[in-house]
Amino acid sequence: MSLPVLLGLTQALALTMSVAFLTYVCLIVVPYLRHTPDTPGDPDDFDWHFLVPCRDEETVVGGTVRYLLDSFPRAHIWVIDDDSEDTTAAVVDDIASDESRVHLVRRHRPNARTGKGDALNAAYRDLRSTLGSDVDGDRTIVVVVDADGRPAANCLEVCAAEHLFGDETIGAVQIDVWMSNRGTLQPGSSRLGKRFGAGLVRMQDLEFRTAIAAIQMSRGLTGTISMGGNGQFTRLTALEAIADENGPWRGALLEDFELGVHLLTAGWRTGFTRDTHVAQEGLYSLRRFLSQRTRWGQGTMQCARYVRRIWDSTHLSTLGAAEMLYYLAQPWLQLLGTLVYPIPFLLLGMRAMGDPNEVWSWFADGAWILFAVYGAFGLLPFLIWGPIYRARCEPSVGRLRSIGYGFAYAVYIYTFYITSWRALYRLARRRNGWVKTRRNTERAVTVDH
Amino acid sequence: MAVVGALPGPRTVTWPKALAVLLLVAAASLIVWQRAYRTVEMMLAGGLISLFTSDGVYVASQRQTVYFGLGSETPFGLRMSPECTSAFLLLPLLLVGAVMIALRPRISRQVLVALGISMVVLVLVNQIRLLMLVGLIDWLGTDQGYYLGHTMFGSLISVLGGAAALVLFVWLATRQRKVK
Repeated sequence: MSLPVLLGLTQALALTMSVAFLTYVCLIVVPYLRHTPDTPGDPDDFDWHFLVPCRDEETVVGGTVRYLLDSFPRAHIWVIDDDSEDTTAAVVDDIASDESRVHLVRRHRPNARTGKGDALNAAYRDLRSTLGSDVDGDRTIVVVVDADGRPAANCLEVCAAEHLFGDETIGAVQIDVWMSNRGTLQPGSSRLGKRFGAGLVRMQDLEFRTAIAAIQMSRGLTGTISMGGNGQFTRLTALEAIADENGPWRGALLEDFELGVHLLTAGWRTGFTRDTHVAQEGLYSLRRFLSQRTRWGQGTMQCARYVRRIWDSTHLSTLGAAEMLYYLAQPWLQLLGTLVYPIPFLLLGMRAMGDPNEVWSWFADGAWILFAVYGAFGLLPFLIWGPIYRARCEPSVGRLRSIGYGFAYAVYIYTFYITSWRALYRLARRRNGWVKTRRNTERAVTVDH
Repeated sequence: MAVVGALPGPRTVTWPKALAVLLLVAAASLIVWQRAYRTVEMMLAGGLISLFTSDGVYVASQRQTVYFGLGSETPFGLRMSPECTSAFLLLPLLLVGAVMIALRPRISRQVLVALGISMVVLVLVNQIRLLMLVGLIDWLGTDQGYYLGHTMFGSLISVLGGAAALVLFVWLATRQRKVK
């Protein structure tokens, strides 16, 4: 293949991927900006069971369980101790001794530490046997919350709404995710480290509350709203419908998305709401952040095995199946992007080395406009989320700062090109274990497999 | 017990797969025969340009170049390079179309219609880009007209046209048919 043909081919691919992404962003912004809050329902119409999977969570689990007890006086809390090496079980046991609504589900190696899905399945089996066969599964809602999760006090009312669990075809609801430590500096680090960490947390907050929320809301139209693991509400009958001999959760690293796939292909509808949220700790450390995103990328790659199931399903429209395929293709497109995007620049660089004057006059005579246009189209889909974040989530943020957030978000997103390659490396080495992301307060690395 | 009627017949399984392979072959052919494609593209452009001008227009097929303004004081030639052809913009559509047909054979006809229409749109968008370039050169002169047309306006037309073709393809290929 000659150089001009290679250049033409890579430019066309780059243009198509950029235009596809730009169009996608334009389409998801509209339902996000048009959203107005819905009327909440009556939480007393349902029974609520919180599942809190824990592995070495002694620093946060006590506070979380007490928060859940205080905020939701009728709900039961099931803490799964995945064979913690710290005092997680003792902390929960201590609370459970005074409170009958707290249940500790203990797992032990070699059957423990095999993944979050397995831990949730253990709680599901305990819950199922405790409730017995007379339970009204349609009225029983299972809520998954991370060990540092803080579901907003109104979340049960919101999820009980007519258009959510009030609609019996809805099997699961995902609520918005906020970062509880946004605007908070990490104690103990250097001044530069504090600023960087706070910025990283801000980007996670911006990402979840704008771009991810917008993607989820647009999925309402395609019928493919996915589950996110934290702040994930599921109807018991829906879980029963998709459970195998171990339970409803399967083995992928992205067990939440996987659960959503099983629900959707079984004919259940899923919902998403911004009217309530769950707060979790954002990560200050770039290293931990990259590990977390590598796990998510690898999980998405693993879920490629569901492509056939999704497209075979009669419950999913072609648009829905295409949307899920686009989502599952993201890490692969990022890999392709890292190969395709630099080629035109490399070829230009080679030409510039051969004849710098010719390339400079080409650039100065008007080609700079080309770079400006493509630069703008490359940046705008990320940049817009800064001002949108200010307009819809954090009005106290200044106008200029929100534009700065937009630029920072563009840089933040480019880390996915790194994590996709790391995920591919782990996939190729068959390192499919659960790498638990450490909390900000933890010091020791806890890695399984 | 064998349920013969439940087994898919060879016709229902084979032809969408063959169609998907055919689309992949078409995609590969576009790369292999991109020069021939560019020649056809320039012949089409020559025909369209001659509709809008009384000056002479000539297509040099071997060089994938169209000359216009012949007989005037400012004749000009435009060559369709591999970077400017619409051939490679059709590739992703063909690949996605092939994947969709392979994964959901029952929408084959719908995908083919969507492919046909969106590919025509992409070809037309590139022709419009060329016509705009010719118009700007005629209006603003060689230097300014060419650079404005080739860089800023050309890129805008490519991006907007590409977006329109993609939206059209997705909409036509995925829309639900009303049940009678």
